[in-house]
Amino acid sequence: MSLLQDGYARRALIEALLVGALCGLVGVQVVLRRLSFFTMAMTHATFPGVVLAALVGVDLLLGSGLFGVLVVLGVSWLTTRPRSDSAAAVGVVLSAGFALGVALLSAQAGFTRDLSAYLVGSIVTVQVGDLVKTALVLAAVALTLALVGKELVFGAFDRGGMVAAGYPAGRLDLLLLLVVELTVVTSVPAVGTIQAVALIVAPAAAARLWSDRIGPTTVLAVLLGMASGVLGLAVSQAYEVAAGAAIVLAACGFFVLSVVVAPVVRRRPVPLGVG
Amino acid sequence: MSEPTGPVLLRFDHASLAYGRVRVVEDVHGTVHGGEAVALIGPNGAGKSTLLRAVLGLVDVVSGGIEVLGSTPARARREVAYVPQVDTLDAQFPVSVGQVVLMGRYRDVGWLRRPGARDRAIADEALDAVGLAERKDDRFGTLSGGQRQRVLLARAIAQQPRLLLLDEPFNGVDAVSQQALLAALRRLQDDGAAVAVSTHDLALAHLACDEVCLLNKHQVAFGPTEATLTPELLRAAYGGQALELAGDSVIVAR
Amino acid sequence: MRYLLEPFGSPFMQRALAEALLLGAVAAVVSVFVVLRRLAFVSDVLTHTVFPGVVIGFVVAGTSGIVWGALVFAVLSAVLITVLAARSRVTEDASMAIVLTGFFAVGVVLVSRQTSFTSDLTAFLFGRILTVDRQQLVVTAVIGAAVLLLLALLGKELLFRAFDPAGAEARGYRVLALDLVLNLAVALVVVAAVRAVGTVLVIALLVVPAAAGRLLSDRLAGIMLIAVGTALLAGWLGLVASWQASVNHGLRLASGATVVLVLVVLYGAAAAIATVRKVRA
Repeated sequence: MSLLQDGYARRALIEALLVGALCGLVGVQVVLRRLSFFTMAMTHATFPGVVLAALVGVDLLLGSGLFGVLVVLGVSWLTTRPRSDSAAAVGVVLSAGFALGVALLSAQAGFTRDLSAYLVGSIVTVQVGDLVKTALVLAAVALTLALVGKELVFGAFDRGGMVAAGYPAGRLDLLLLLVVELTVVTSVPAVGTIQAVALIVAPAAAARLWSDRIGPTTVLAVLLGMASGVLGLAVSQAYEVAAGAAIVLAACGFFVLSVVVAPVVRRRPVPLGVG
Repeated sequence: MSEPTGPVLLRFDHASLAYGRVRVVEDVHGTVHGGEAVALIGPNGAGKSTLLRAVLGLVDVVSGGIEVLGSTPARARREVAYVPQVDTLDAQFPVSVGQVVLMGRYRDVGWLRRPGARDRAIADEALDAVGLAERKDDRFGTLSGGQRQRVLLARAIAQQPRLLLLDEPFNGVDAVSQQALLAALRRLQDDGAAVAVSTHDLALAHLACDEVCLLNKHQVAFGPTEATLTPELLRAAYGGQALELAGDSVIVAR
Repeated sequence: MRYLLEPFGSPFMQRALAEALLLGAVAAVVSVFVVLRRLAFVSDVLTHTVFPGVVIGFVVAGTSGIVWGALVFAVLSAVLITVLAARSRVTEDASMAIVLTGFFAVGVVLVSRQTSFTSDLTAFLFGRILTVDRQQLVVTAVIGAAVLLLLALLGKELLFRAFDPAGAEARGYRVLALDLVLNLAVALVVVAAVRAVGTVLVIALLVVPAAAGRLLSDRLAGIMLIAVGTALLAGWLGLVASWQASVNHGLRLASGATVVLVLVVLYGAAAAIATVRKVRA
């Protein structure tokens, strides 16, 4: 494997595997709850956090993470406004975040190389420190999902029943949104703001086509996420195209393949989504 | 219950309906004349809404046939009005009551054109017929459930249909609105239109309908109201959900 | 007042203003339907799926090819999205997200093969409203007129479908065809806006004006008026803010992004007014 010959390629491979696993894991929750648009908004709206962090000189992950918390709160506040529906609220937050990021960045000396790195990712430049961060986030997210996974699934299926059963449903929703936010922020350096959502949604949606049960779906989503990372990286090296985009296209490829193949293999109609 | 005088407007000829390959309603057989009202009665999931959608030509008839106004359902659709269940609509939607009723005219107005003075007059008259003329400029969502149902009926009346289909029109409707709805339906029937209404309300079927079609995935019975709503047939349609009360009256669970 | 008119002394700023007002008005009208049909996400998808068309158009025929490439992909993706929304195997939002990022990634792959990767990418994504020329204005005006005509002719049917899809279907309307018309209108706005504000910021023009209108009015006509007014005001004030900041305060602010920020501030003001009203009521 030529991938493993030098240090930066090895680091990129490890990052791709870690991010793929993280996205696949969280993606199942995103797909079950239909949070794709919210995830999309997160990827756009944390952008100014990145720029601000770069301006102030703090850690980029920290900057975008903190900003993301603001965005989560903004969305939940706007959704409760009179006559405002959540899609419009998410749309407004998304626009506001991205425009703020662009405006802040343009206040710097022109658009820089860094901007395109955040938009489309630059996995080949990850450092050992980034790998450690990604691994820590993966561990934290996996632990969280292991601890409250069954409650999150319950809430996704029947939120009313969950409230009736006395769970703090609002706080669990917020917890999930924060987990999604953390995942977005962590995967942005690898695949970029705009494309992170694909690595989260596509493996999980593909896995969903192969299984009706949460456990196997999650395992498969994680595997598909990791496979997308490796495959995308290999394609990007072979054909000299942007790595983040190649990873995303690999994930989309697995999804399209599943749409076509899964019903044939499973020999029964695939249910129209899950509640 | 008078003898049927109008022409046959709706004819089911051993019709079976399916979504894709899944059969949902089997072997419906009967006729409805102009001026008559038929109640579709059966438990939840019995296929009442599906049967209404089939009359609109939106569900496949896999065997037998449905004849609407002497033609196919799809071709007759212009003269058939449909009143959806009111709780499927977005109460926050920014339309006025007058706009909703005017929607009944859109199909006759046609593509690319705006409703004219005559369309507005017809819509106003229809709104008046359900007793809500003074609420014309209010937002649809500010009305009560019963009033919204009346507005949707007004929209159907504005369409000047020969056949009117209503899906559970009396669910959660207050007494005043129910009276207004029944009066408006009566007037349509007097003008020669036929009415098909899906409902759980047996008392209402006795009160307002000439014919009853008892359904539970297949047709249990189709005939004059008094002869059809018998304890035996209701038990056959509702199974264990039917409760017998003193002698010959039966109540059914929703 | 002088402060607010001063920036528009030069021809390039006048053209930028004309472009901003044209786009703002057309997008605001479309945004009313976007918000009523809750199509914010679909609009976001369309803004991204047009991107590979922009890149291909540029590669094949230079800057004049951008509009044509965008147009082809706009129509393609409008059809694809309409069909996907109607009959998707997975949940609609998931398939939308995948289409969005898949198309976008194709665009990125194509750009990454160009030598001027970074500057091309930023131009496509964020647009350059200050370099709008007469020809671009004409293109915007023509596309805008087509969109407005489409909505004027089919407005009542689109309204019916938005309010009561089951009723519209029962009435014999082809709901799928109506959805396609609206998605096409959204896609055309994206095409018209792509060179001036870029693919990513168009979403703001397609959602925020009507969202603001919706906060302040229950009536369709009211929402429409507020939406258009908000968009025009944002176009004007945004350009003033970005010009004044860079000329008089030494702070460079990207014009397109500033217009969007002003739009969001106006939305914030609308939300504040709506909250005050609610407290009083």
